[in-house]
Amino acid sequence: MPKKILGFSTHSQTHEVIVSAFILFLMTDAVGQDSPPPSALINQQSEQTLEAARAASPHTSQSTYAYFEDEAKAFIENAIQYTWDPTAPRLTSKKTAWGDPDLGGYWLNIAYVPLERPEEYASNPLHTQEEAVTAFIQWTTRDAAVDPATVHYDWTEFGMDNWQSPIRPNRRTSLITSPTNGRVPALTPEGLARREAQSRRHTLESRGLYERCIQGNQGPPSVPFVQNTGQAQIIQTPDHVILITQANSDVRIFPLNGSNHAPETIRSYLGDSRGHWENDTLVVDTTNFHESRKWNGSSSGLQLEERFTRVDEKILLYEATLTDPSTWETPWSIEIPWPMMDAPRWLFEFACHEQNYGIINVLRGARARAAEYQTTQKVE
Amino acid sequence: MGANLLGGTALNNLFTKPIVAVAAIFYSISGLSQEMPSNALPQNYTPSLTLHNTPNISGVWQSFTTANWNILSHPVQAGPFAEQAGGWGAGRAGFGIVKGNELPYQEWAAAEQKKNYENRAVVTAANDPSRFDTGDPELLCFRAGIPRANYMPYPFQIFQTPEQILIVYEYKGAYRTIYMDEDRPALDESWMGTSNGHWEGNTLVVDVKGFNEHTWLDREGNFASDELHVVERWTPLSPYHMKYEATIEDPNVFTRPWTMSFILYKNVEENSEIKEFNCVPLVEPMFYKPLGFYDEDISSNP
Repeated sequence: MPKKILGFSTHSQTHEVIVSAFILFLMTDAVGQDSPPPSALINQQSEQTLEAARAASPHTSQSTYAYFEDEAKAFIENAIQYTWDPTAPRLTSKKTAWGDPDLGGYWLNIAYVPLERPEEYASNPLHTQEEAVTAFIQWTTRDAAVDPATVHYDWTEFGMDNWQSPIRPNRRTSLITSPTNGRVPALTPEGLARREAQSRRHTLESRGLYERCIQGNQGPPSVPFVQNTGQAQIIQTPDHVILITQANSDVRIFPLNGSNHAPETIRSYLGDSRGHWENDTLVVDTTNFHESRKWNGSSSGLQLEERFTRVDEKILLYEATLTDPSTWETPWSIEIPWPMMDAPRWLFEFACHEQNYGIINVLRGARARAAEYQTTQKVE
Repeated sequence: MGANLLGGTALNNLFTKPIVAVAAIFYSISGLSQEMPSNALPQNYTPSLTLHNTPNISGVWQSFTTANWNILSHPVQAGPFAEQAGGWGAGRAGFGIVKGNELPYQEWAAAEQKKNYENRAVVTAANDPSRFDTGDPELLCFRAGIPRANYMPYPFQIFQTPEQILIVYEYKGAYRTIYMDEDRPALDESWMGTSNGHWEGNTLVVDVKGFNEHTWLDREGNFASDELHVVERWTPLSPYHMKYEATIEDPNVFTRPWTMSFILYKNVEENSEIKEFNCVPLVEPMFYKPLGFYDEDISSNP
């Protein structure tokens, strides 16, 4: 096992697919994904299952942490010099040769800060600098200690844990900046009904779009996933800005020519995006989402506004506002500072569908679990 | 406008009446034979430049060949599933794009191509690499690879920066980055390969390698191995035309290198842009229905 690990990874396609399928299998509350149907969830997250895996392992969280401790401490020492402070003045943007703000490069959509504000910080949108660092150290330390129950997907070994990236402390207590309580607004009755109808289904089509390799786990909107899978590249010309995400190799093209959205009959999974500059910020409006594309329970009527601002040589600030009156009572907004990826900077082909062995296994597993469950019910 | 081809303000000017008229006049007064090139483009075209002073090839392009059916010359054919798809699924006759109209297959490879053809519409829905044993990758919504992505019946869009040229193909939304600043090695195999480029005069020369072993060149089952090495030459001929040439080398499959060539056309519609063609949801029934996993309630049918 390599001791020294680069801050980026050359994940092979096969590995990506297995990992992505596994993550969706495991992380049922993963942000940005539809919840898998109940048939897939029976037993798999039970404390019994996890405890059995831990008992069977020759390792403990403590012993795995000890292995990486020096590296983790050195990482923390460096990272805490760069705490994200949303109240600090933003530096002037770097400019392209033709005078637009320069957003080009390789960026990482990543955060330890949770999407929704925990109860304990209910009235406290911002940590102090010291609190932010303390929280960051706790997250990092936990991250670097591999749970033996998940050792088959040891992200650290592949250099893919968050602490092996340029992730930084953040004064925010939630990624949600609006509404002011830092929580996703209440679902409308229609949104609630849609979610319940979805969760009652047990077919391939009711599973997450990432798991089916229809799109990646990076939105739109780009909300950090549970692990270090938020690599992205921005390519910029005078007429277009293009956002490419490592996850599923999704490509979003933002024309800057002032053109209108496509007619509403033309709908797509990544939506129809049009961009324009507002001072130093690229503003991208996206609409025309596909009927089958439900982001966190949203409808195809989702209106998305994203704002990209290079606030520092090595920080691209990403902000997004979601408006979908048929799903949420009010619009809501998020803010995530994207650090620049460490060198060497690459994205790799993510041929997900081509090698989606996982979905067949997942569906077979779900069927087996459903059969077990029905047997249990009969006994009782 | 007349025969002022250099003006080139409208695509059809280049092809239709002016040239026909000029050719007719030449023919009648000089008695020249059919050797007169009937659709020659102006020679020595000097392309406009990008802000970073390289030839500007940005925009939406598409080939109008029928090579995606067969890169060699071919007759009209019924498509697979003709009993359902009828005329919709049928293929046009067309000239090939291969120089000499012949592929120098090794003996085993010629047989393999025939096998590919026979199994081109057979889907192996498996959770292991046997899924690559049958079926045209296009049928299955797999990435098309290079050179095929350039002559599929889908447009693609080129974006240029000093460091990279990005090509986004409408088919599957697959993209490739051509590194222009410094050559990068192929660290891993992939469907679209690893591309390094440089300019030779007005020609963009791209070296592509690092392919996986699943590349098909057309629906006919012509194919290459993971030793495939493609050298592409992209040469603008007018604001709206670009010559595409590729030299194909694959010591596992062919007895010698061979070349292909065709013309790319720029889309000059006012609303010219590529659209999303996400075929994954379109092929899910093909993959998963035979396994009982499509549109069926798993829990009630364990």
